[in-house]
Amino acid sequence: MILETLEATNFRNLSGKITCAAGLNIIAGDNGHGKTNWLEAIYLLATTKSFKTARLTEAVNFGETLAIVRGIVRQSAGISRSVQVAIEGNTKILTVNDKRETVQRFLGQLHALLFNSDELSIVRGSPDARRKFLDGGIVAIFPAFIQTLSDFNRTLRQKNALLQKAHKDELSLEETAKRLEPWNEQLIQNAAKIHKARVRYVERLNEDLEKQLFEKEVVSIRYLSSLEGKGDLNNYAELLEERLKIRVQAELSAGYSLIGPHRDDLEISFDGRDLRKFGSSGQQRSALLILQLSTLSAYFSQHNEYPLFLLDDIDAELDYKRIGRLLEFLSDKTQTFVTTSKESFVQRFGAGAEIINVKNGEALRAETVSNFEI
Amino acid sequence: MLEYSEPVAKLIDEFKRLPGIGHKSAQRLAFFILRLPNEKVESFVSALREVKEKIVFCDVCNNLTDVNPCMYCASQSRDRSIICVVEEPYNLVAVEKTRSYKGLYHILHGSLSPIRGIGPDELMISNIFPRLSPENNDDVEVKEVIIATNPTTEGEATANYLARLLKPLGVKTTRIAMGMPVGSDLEFVDEVTMDKAMSNRREM
Ligand SMILES: [Zn+2]
Repeated sequence: MILETLEATNFRNLSGKITCAAGLNIIAGDNGHGKTNWLEAIYLLATTKSFKTARLTEAVNFGETLAIVRGIVRQSAGISRSVQVAIEGNTKILTVNDKRETVQRFLGQLHALLFNSDELSIVRGSPDARRKFLDGGIVAIFPAFIQTLSDFNRTLRQKNALLQKAHKDELSLEETAKRLEPWNEQLIQNAAKIHKARVRYVERLNEDLEKQLFEKEVVSIRYLSSLEGKGDLNNYAELLEERLKIRVQAELSAGYSLIGPHRDDLEISFDGRDLRKFGSSGQQRSALLILQLSTLSAYFSQHNEYPLFLLDDIDAELDYKRIGRLLEFLSDKTQTFVTTSKESFVQRFGAGAEIINVKNGEALRAETVSNFEI
Repeated sequence: MLEYSEPVAKLIDEFKRLPGIGHKSAQRLAFFILRLPNEKVESFVSALREVKEKIVFCDVCNNLTDVNPCMYCASQSRDRSIICVVEEPYNLVAVEKTRSYKGLYHILHGSLSPIRGIGPDELMISNIFPRLSPENNDDVEVKEVIIATNPTTEGEATANYLARLLKPLGVKTTRIAMGMPVGSDLEFVDEVTMDKAMSNRREM
């Protein structure tokens, strides 16, 4: 899929229309003029969400009541569709070819992957960020997985509420165990699905991992189950059932659920050393990109096309040598959007790219060096 | 200071007690009532009073009814050897609409949900057990209990909890199947439903 054009009205400070190249698009401009807002607009079309705020009303330009982001997406040589997100007060109106669609249907139209400094939490933040990274990648490949996750999380919340109540009411161990059983049974079912999906997804990421794209050190990843060393992980459901039985007292004392895939992690190493503890900031950025590139490949092997790749403030994050490697790797693969505030970046990487200058939110076409190629 | 005069504020507060009604809806409803002619308000009030006076829980199955036992429990033409367990009285209505089920019912009035403070003691479960003895069931033995709670996490947990209590008593316990809506084209079934339907497939 290719985003051909992008228009924004009253979405933050944006105005004007961008005509996008199938390959590299460079959104250039001084800081504070709205470069990132254009990436946010693309992200909104792909996900119906913002990566800046959870409250979309904040993205409506001050004093206005209706914001519209609209794009033309080419699905194949013969099929182009207009996709639009309108934000009016607290409602979000999604349309495809000017016909209103459900979120589910809308989400199939455009896919995008984002690289920005917030995403660095994947390589240096808490395990939660890494689980989300894995789960997001799996959902992009198997959309039904989102239901498994939501069932699991709901069961977990119910179980935690039960444990807290049992703790407070000083329920006997026997009675607690009895009341836990129906929740644990569902927990085990969904946990086993999640474990299997994540293990397989990490295998998939490993297959395409460009281990030394940016550095001489080798990046490697491994799924780290919290049940590792406790028994046979190949029979995950049985193992978890057994562990849950043993740990009722511990869970009752803690007042929340202690075992399951919500305690797992993705181990990322650099030449065998824990990246989170020992990696430099540059190495962490390289590792994040490598993970994201393999996310793109995993997506491609399922759908036979790439999502859009959005890279915010890329030159604040990486030096030109690494950017050069990255862009070379991406050419002939993804439709890529990068933002930069440096003139030298445009001069160095602008050949063959679409260059969009942003001034006070307005997109101005600088020069066109490329044509559409599909 | 009150936004509205006391009687109006009080009415709004009462509406806010209703499930799914927030402040805005409560205001709308209150002003709707205020604009109604007196006789409409009277008939509304008497409907509320009447339902509380005349409707009771069926002693046998917990259905809401104006005769006790309810019409299903009292009927001579129903199959007393099967009991279908549902969460709410409106789930009973949905099963009845199929016209294919002729057995009895048992209504739990909810599903397990620790988050909302609903444990086994808050559901109307315990009076199903005496029903399984023939002497309490017109000398008919209950052969099967069908658990038709909702396909939600809470409904599944409730079904699971019940099955654990019923199975040791030797009664056949079944769970209704979840999956594809009938009459739907495979193309339009969402992936989640499809996934569930696939895992609940049966041999032919
Ligand atoms: Zn009855």
